[in-house]
Amino acid sequence: MVMKGSEFLVKEILPSEVFTPEDFSDEQKQIRDTTRDLVDNEILPQVEEIDSPNHQLVVEFLAKAGELGLLMMDPKEEDGGLGLDKSTVMLVAEEIAHTGSFSVAFAAHTGIGTLPLVYYGSQTLKDKYLEKIITGQWGAAFCLTEPNAGSDAMTVDTQATTEGDHYLLNGTKQFITNGGFAKLFTVFARLDKEHFTAFMVEKDFVGVSIGPEENKMGIKGSSTTQVIFDQVKVPKENLLGEIGKGHHIAFNVLNIGRIKLGAAVNGAAKEVLKTSVAYAKERKQFQHPISDFGAIQEKIADRTAQLFAAESLIYRITGDLDIALAEVPQDENYYKNYTKIIADYNGECAIAKVYCSEQLAAMVDEGLQIYGGYGFIKDYPAERFYRDERINRLFEGTNEINRLLLPDAILKKSLKGELPLQSLAMKAFEGLVNPSFDLPEETLFAKEFQVVKNTKQIFLVLAGAAVQKFQMALAKEQEVLMAVADVAIYIYALESALLRAAKHYNQASDKRKKLLAALVKVSTFNNLEALAQAAKKGAFYIEEGDNLTLLLSGIRRYGKYDASGLLQAKRTLAQSVIEQGKYPL
Amino acid sequence: MKILVCVKQVPDMESRFQVQAGGTAIEEADLAFRVNEYDEFAIEEAVRLKEKLGEGSELTVLSLGPQRVAEAIKKALAMGCDQGIHILDTASRDPYQVASLIYQAVKDQDFEVIFTGMQSQDLGYAQTGLLLAELLGIEAVTTVVSFCQEGDGFLVQRELEGGQRMNLKLQAPALFTCQLGLNQPRYPTLPNIMKAKKKKITQLEAASLAPPAARSQTTSLRPPAKKGQAKFLEGDLGAMADQLVAELKAKSLI
Ligand SMILES: Cc1cc2nc3c(=O)[nH]c(=O)nc-3n(C[C@H](O)[C@H](O)[C@H](O)COP(=O)(O)OP(=O)(O)OC[C@H]3O[C@@H](n4cnc5c(N)ncnc54)[C@H](O)[C@@H]3O)c2cc1C
Repeated sequence: MVMKGSEFLVKEILPSEVFTPEDFSDEQKQIRDTTRDLVDNEILPQVEEIDSPNHQLVVEFLAKAGELGLLMMDPKEEDGGLGLDKSTVMLVAEEIAHTGSFSVAFAAHTGIGTLPLVYYGSQTLKDKYLEKIITGQWGAAFCLTEPNAGSDAMTVDTQATTEGDHYLLNGTKQFITNGGFAKLFTVFARLDKEHFTAFMVEKDFVGVSIGPEENKMGIKGSSTTQVIFDQVKVPKENLLGEIGKGHHIAFNVLNIGRIKLGAAVNGAAKEVLKTSVAYAKERKQFQHPISDFGAIQEKIADRTAQLFAAESLIYRITGDLDIALAEVPQDENYYKNYTKIIADYNGECAIAKVYCSEQLAAMVDEGLQIYGGYGFIKDYPAERFYRDERINRLFEGTNEINRLLLPDAILKKSLKGELPLQSLAMKAFEGLVNPSFDLPEETLFAKEFQVVKNTKQIFLVLAGAAVQKFQMALAKEQEVLMAVADVAIYIYALESALLRAAKHYNQASDKRKKLLAALVKVSTFNNLEALAQAAKKGAFYIEEGDNLTLLLSGIRRYGKYDASGLLQAKRTLAQSVIEQGKYPL
Repeated sequence: MKILVCVKQVPDMESRFQVQAGGTAIEEADLAFRVNEYDEFAIEEAVRLKEKLGEGSELTVLSLGPQRVAEAIKKALAMGCDQGIHILDTASRDPYQVASLIYQAVKDQDFEVIFTGMQSQDLGYAQTGLLLAELLGIEAVTTVVSFCQEGDGFLVQRELEGGQRMNLKLQAPALFTCQLGLNQPRYPTLPNIMKAKKKKITQLEAASLAPPAARSQTTSLRPPAKKGQAKFLEGDLGAMADQLVAELKAKSLI
């Protein structure tokens, strides 16, 4: 059974039904190894040089990645690609992520740069451009943002007008990744003052110019420029997709980009963890390596548990997506139906983006803390990790925009009758008035599975109360929406971690069992605490008087978790990371 | 020309090793495995030879071990081997048994060139290739660092002690054990990884190949006892040099 988008809020799923990193095929592992070899042997030794910045080196490594086939994962075989599934794409993104700036260039090229053409390009456009892009001969970029259209991306000022056998394009795009070297741009503009539409524009078209490189805080080796269009003649065949449907292209490509960003930041987090733990084992204070100290171990344990949840949720999403996408009939409507499925999971895509990027934020912060004063010095890697991380909470939709998008996606599904939120919320309210106390059974992770069930009740009563109170005006109550979003995000995270551990626990070695149990305990406790805080805050925003009391008591009851042994679990977890010198899975 | 390359899957050398309860084997439960590094040189050289010979040459990769070694065979297929032979075996074997099993599997196939690694990274016997050549009754050349095919013969260079090299010329059939420095193994490309899925892997049961009795037994295995810790010298270069000389003199090493 595959869960449809946002159904996790209202349905239970068996551990055997989720895809996890332990389920990778031999081919997927080989693709990971090829990527890892390229990264470790060739790109990593040049990371400083790339950041100097040296964009030419980025171009060369893109071409090298192209030779290995790393730029052709998404297009179908008949389009000259490999037609690989999304889980494989994520696995590669994770490995490439160790390279910082190059990773951003790679993600922009293969994701937002290539996918518009793959999903929406006519045969003519594919024949014209796809091979150049997937071999790395040409760099690709995505031009949506403008000086006056950031989060509010649909309000672009760039104009296209119909002039005989071509369009005339005018406008300025802002913060375009790969802008400095890309040869092909997907550009969003208003056609004839009205229709939001995408165009494929070559750098060599007369009237295209590139602004100076931005002087950035991090990912300094990635190119970020303005791209300016001044009376650019664009052939009619270079209109991408349908007139007035540019937003479909932008949203769907960004949906995939958000999962991919999630996978990438998880990969980066593994690198940060490895470096910090190595330092903690080396650095001695008070006659001990600082990795002996509980305060340091707790950081390692908490960060590892969150990384585990983040990693679990990425592959759970792509596992569901891959099954659903594999069923799309190979007919002329293939990509139409394909992108519909991606759109259906837009809530999960937002979750991936927010949870994983905030996971990395915490990782670089604690990672730097482990380095002490040396973390503040540029000679040590923690400093670059800290700067490079920051962008991830800004692009591909800021985390605020993604948080707002999530409840919106869920409520729209409910209004369309695709999610029985209303009836379930009613039931959940009844449960608040007449609580029943089922004792969990004595099965594997029974307490934690009960927590998952309970948190879904919290979501239902909170979202239900919000809808009842504000009705159509809810869209304006952003503080409430953010709280509701957080509850949904933490549910997905803690459930994904639990399902993954439960799926593999029985076959695991004794040592691995201890590790999985520790991960589940720490992840459940930490995510639940964060969830309960968001829920409580939301309750105060929404209700008052008796209703508030009722809501708060519900949150308190459903938010209970007996985490006895938490300290031991953290120590077990930290020991395992310290012993192995890396993320232990 | 029929070419064979024999590969072994070994634990990732960055793993933390633990000895099993019985005290004669490594605990395999949570280890990651990969292709023995020397065998990657062997695969690369075999693929280059096949590519050079073009039409009419055929390259087979063989590995012995449990189900997991299929992964190593698939890597070799993705690097350019044409087909695989997997001798399924879960027992722990000494080099003579391994060579005998491979011999049984390939003796009737008339391979003219066989490549193996010089040794395995985990056990390091450096015997399997030589024993196989002996069983097949063909020539063997060890520690090959340069290889060139010419007509129906080969020009090879061996690495000797003290950085010396030895040039040899010989005829097929022959077996070569490959040493670090022979070549730079390619990364399997994604298209080749996917194409390799369609290549054939023949499975044979070790039991059906009548393994002989072992000629040696592991009696015990343990991590080396911790010796005295390393000492790091500090200070400026001159001071460190003086300190080093003093230390070496004190230990009567110079
Ligand atoms: C290094 C880099 C690379 C980039 N690469 C690309 C690229 O390749 N292609 C591309 O098209 N764009 C790219 N961008 C642009 C990026 O996607 C935007 O910067 C981002 O979407 C935010 O837009 P903005 O910067 O205009 O911020 P604003 O939209 O001005 O936002 C400012 C703040 O207000 C908040 N905010 C805005 N609207 C709302 C709202 N309705 N409710 C609540 N809060 C709100 C935001 O969350 C943010 O905190 C890149 C940016 C950078 C820095």
